[in-house]
Amino acid sequence: MTLPATRQSVAIELDSVVKRYGDHTVLDNVSLSVREGEVVAIIGPSGAGKSTLLRCINLLERPDSGRITVAGHAVDAGSEISNKELVAHRRVAGMVFQSFNLFPHLDVLRNISLAQERVLGRSRKDADKRSKELLDRVGLADKAAQYPSRCSGGQQQRIAIARALALEPKVMLFDEPTSALDPELGLEVLAVMRELADEGMTMVVVTHEMQFARDVSDHLVVMVDGAVLEEGPPEEIFSKPGHERTRRFLRAVLER
Amino acid sequence: MSLSDWAENYPALLSGLWVSIRVTALALGIGMPLGLLLALSANSPKKVLRYVTIGVVEIGRGTPALVVLQIVYFGLPTVDVTFSSFFSAAIALALTTAAYTSEILRGGLQAVPSGEVEAASALGMVNRDTLRFIVIPQGVRVAIPPLMGFAVLIFQASSLAYTIALPELMSQAYSTGSSTFRYMSILGLAGLMYAAITIPASWLTGRAERRMARHL
Repeated sequence: MTLPATRQSVAIELDSVVKRYGDHTVLDNVSLSVREGEVVAIIGPSGAGKSTLLRCINLLERPDSGRITVAGHAVDAGSEISNKELVAHRRVAGMVFQSFNLFPHLDVLRNISLAQERVLGRSRKDADKRSKELLDRVGLADKAAQYPSRCSGGQQQRIAIARALALEPKVMLFDEPTSALDPELGLEVLAVMRELADEGMTMVVVTHEMQFARDVSDHLVVMVDGAVLEEGPPEEIFSKPGHERTRRFLRAVLER
Repeated sequence: MSLSDWAENYPALLSGLWVSIRVTALALGIGMPLGLLLALSANSPKKVLRYVTIGVVEIGRGTPALVVLQIVYFGLPTVDVTFSSFFSAAIALALTTAAYTSEILRGGLQAVPSGEVEAASALGMVNRDTLRFIVIPQGVRVAIPPLMGFAVLIFQASSLAYTIALPELMSQAYSTGSSTFRYMSILGLAGLMYAAITIPASWLTGRAERRMARHL
């Protein structure tokens, strides 16, 4: 990003977020700040709490304590959250899952249009028009009438991205979007994500794609054992990791 | 057994078959939507509703259809609720249908992957919309083959209504048999008529099962 930090407003702010499952602390006092238009990559070994952190941002998981702000909309962990607030919160945060989670009984166009109609109140005609534009944008204009099962994994994930974009989110959250894909199909998904980043979308990406983290992200976060171990410009962390644990993790993923 | 018995008596049996079909259709038409409602409440996040529903379903499944039928036709009039034999049969079979199909449908609803429900909530869809557009259409689809199999059983169970003087197929066969003493050939014809409905229905069920398997 070219703008100086001070002129950009904050898109996502996590303040001392704690999440426990029973006795097990998955997120231990995590704070994180994402500026508008910034691409943040979260890396780290499995079980580090990366996905849980992402799921807390759009409240698919309720944190036990802390405060989460997305596009100016703040939610305190302790307080009661009404359905209306929940919907408002999720609308601004689009989510893309590792396993795509498309609706298999609906054709591709319906997959993208349904939430526009039910959540944004768009007419079928307007929703379909928008869906077609988005399909075109992810390079799948010809798939509108197909069912998800007739699409490759890479195509399904691009459809899932279009589905999330259809709600005009302020930020996009990606939970290991290429982990279920073979490398070649992963590339077409990463290409769409690169484009999004270039257009200035605020993105948080949990990923094992180190090349992507290195090239595309503005900020790299290394998580270990439910906490942020270190964060900073990706180039710096890749070339001079500040912790032995980071060094070990990077060696393991890069030398595969 | 003679073909002349069949030729003489088939009109009475056919009219009985038509009553059997109608009472079955009404019982399924009321019972299956009721079964879906029970399935949804049995999956409800509200504990009290869930336990009450599961209790009602267990009682409904535990009680023989014949007993429910007798309660509706002979029992309810003692508390001043009276139905004709046709509606008594339809109501009793509908209650049994609701209890059994709720379990079939509950299994279907639970077969919908939780990731899709999660994706719908991440898109900001409210629970009601997620049920209506994502969970119910897929859950019911999965349940269609076992529901068709169950419909065949209810059609056969409609013969129990001969105990409440409903002129359905079994009762027509029985009364024709007792006036002609041709029990073997008349009841045999009745059995063939039941089979003429249930065997094609079972084929359709098999085909439906294969169709469903193709889409999964």
